[in-house]
Amino acid sequence: MATVGSLGRLRNHPAGILGGGGAVLYVLFIGLPVIALLVQAAQQSDFLAAVTGDAALTALRLSLLTSIISMAVVVTLGTPFAYLLARSDNTWARVVDSMVELPLVLPPVVAGVAMLMAFGRNGLIGPGLENIGITIPFTTTAVVFAQIFVASPFFIRAAKLGFQSVAKDYEDIAQTLGVSPWWTFFRITLPLAAPAMFTGLGLAWARALSEFGATMMFAGNLTGETQTMPLAIMSAMETSLDGALALSVMLLAGSILVLALLGLLTRRTWQGR
Amino acid sequence: MIESQMVETNAAGWVECRVGDFHLETSWEIQPGQVLVLFGPSGAGKSTTLRAIAGLLRPVRGRIEVGGQVVYDSGHGTWVPTHERRLGYLTQQYHLFPHLKVAANIAFGLPDRNSPAGRERVSELSSLFQLKGLEERYPWELSGGQQQRVALARALASRPAMLLLDEPFASLDAELRRSLRRELRAMLAQSPVPVMLVTHDREEALALGDSVQVINEGRTLVTGDPLEVLGQPGQGRVARLVGVENLFDLAVQERNPRDGTMTCVGPGLQLEVPLDSHVSGGSGPEGEQDRVTVGIRASDIILAKEDLAGSSARNRLPGQVVSVESRPPGYAVTLNCGNVGDCGQPLRCHITGAALEEMGIRTGQRLWAVFKASSCFLVDEERV
Repeated sequence: MATVGSLGRLRNHPAGILGGGGAVLYVLFIGLPVIALLVQAAQQSDFLAAVTGDAALTALRLSLLTSIISMAVVVTLGTPFAYLLARSDNTWARVVDSMVELPLVLPPVVAGVAMLMAFGRNGLIGPGLENIGITIPFTTTAVVFAQIFVASPFFIRAAKLGFQSVAKDYEDIAQTLGVSPWWTFFRITLPLAAPAMFTGLGLAWARALSEFGATMMFAGNLTGETQTMPLAIMSAMETSLDGALALSVMLLAGSILVLALLGLLTRRTWQGR
Repeated sequence: MIESQMVETNAAGWVECRVGDFHLETSWEIQPGQVLVLFGPSGAGKSTTLRAIAGLLRPVRGRIEVGGQVVYDSGHGTWVPTHERRLGYLTQQYHLFPHLKVAANIAFGLPDRNSPAGRERVSELSSLFQLKGLEERYPWELSGGQQQRVALARALASRPAMLLLDEPFASLDAELRRSLRRELRAMLAQSPVPVMLVTHDREEALALGDSVQVINEGRTLVTGDPLEVLGQPGQGRVARLVGVENLFDLAVQERNPRDGTMTCVGPGLQLEVPLDSHVSGGSGPEGEQDRVTVGIRASDIILAKEDLAGSSARNRLPGQVVSVESRPPGYAVTLNCGNVGDCGQPLRCHITGAALEEMGIRTGQRLWAVFKASSCFLVDEERV
């Protein structure tokens, strides 16, 4: 109802006319390729076979495994880090804070090259790691590294904003009520920041699933080991369109699932509209 | 029941705090069931005092005792963290936890909140604060008064050894404020804990305070009985802080020790006021040009359409209405008064809406302002 009312009021406003045109164009621009993808995939005779084929399932399994591991790392380490950023305002915190933004503006390919320069065989600390028996480049670990590098800012930023939106007074009050700072975090701060954190997690997960450039550079394209869904799509394009289409539809379905989950998890039952 | 489990201990302490450029020095002592009102303008250091007692702010030095336990002592390096101080702390914005229902908010600080005993305690408090039937609501579904009741119940749930109330009723309307004050008073009678209440509302200080401490710029100006401190404050600075509406700078013309009064004059005014025996700092008793500052509360002045010549009131001033302003719950009428010469002095009087209507008061009208000599009080101006 509120939406209808505000649209009605906007009818004679410049934003109503230009914005309306923009909205139609945007929906077409995004919708058309998505529909085209589905239509083309449906026309393929062996679509189902491609979806359930070994190549597709292997890539899917690897994508899920690596993204779950990287999200677990991002949430475990990123949550306390984001809380620290939200509650401190000294110079160091600001420097670190702007570093969190760096992966957002850095081209993923550059990130891949940079990680190779650090952990590669001839890299900065790569040889040292190799001496103690640890090899990172062109392994599944490298895939996780690449995903964490590009995806973590989405979560950390959102979690930081979420924590900032929880007034310090709530924590103060909780402690005057006899609840320790530790429990205050779990019973007050975390639940109140949770919607923002879920939003960040969704975005980070989507970004990790779609990671391509850094993975390509740092982890390579080895089936079953480093070939995630996006890399598999690229490889499939070279041989059969069927395989590529099937994988694309699977990733699309995954993205829509993430969006739906996000909508569900970030809905606050405890707040009025 | 609540009272049987209350530990009766007083609260006392002193602190020196520094927050940026602001420097606070204060001390207090409160008996169980007594309310000490911290009164002063914003930025005076009232909330800082509460935060220091709650352990939300670390003083430079001092000693704080809550419920018979020393929670802070700079001399011995004692520091008990906030959650072990057994306090009830109430803020103006309530800060109910938005993601928890009423019952969970009240039970938040109870260690046994999931046991039958904990649930019993919550239901006991919800009936005490008229919250029955609201237990399953979220804070945003409550009215302001209900929210404040939940906050109060939550603060009292785990039987604190001291209550800290930071302008608890400031965002409520006058009617609600009065009824919540009554409830708080009743609650204190039942479970006597020392209470420190911050306010800049005179009415609230008078209604709730057993004693009042006037604070300004981090310093305590005076501590004492609310009626004395806020009704007829003896210090000029205090008088201005507590908002004495009428202050006149007058010269002593004649002392009448037999009546315990003296006659004072100023531009356009001649007033009978109490004898200045307690006012210090003046020159000798023979100096007829002694200056005094006389305060009169706006609510102590009676307005009359005619001269009440046959009355006992020693001061009767003719005047003309300059302005009438709404000042809930009544009205503030300003008269230009004078009983000597042509010029007058503005005099503020508070009257009820009914009186205003009945007398048909409007600007320009001629009225008499009548008040007793004992309604006038001498204010000790600081001579620096």
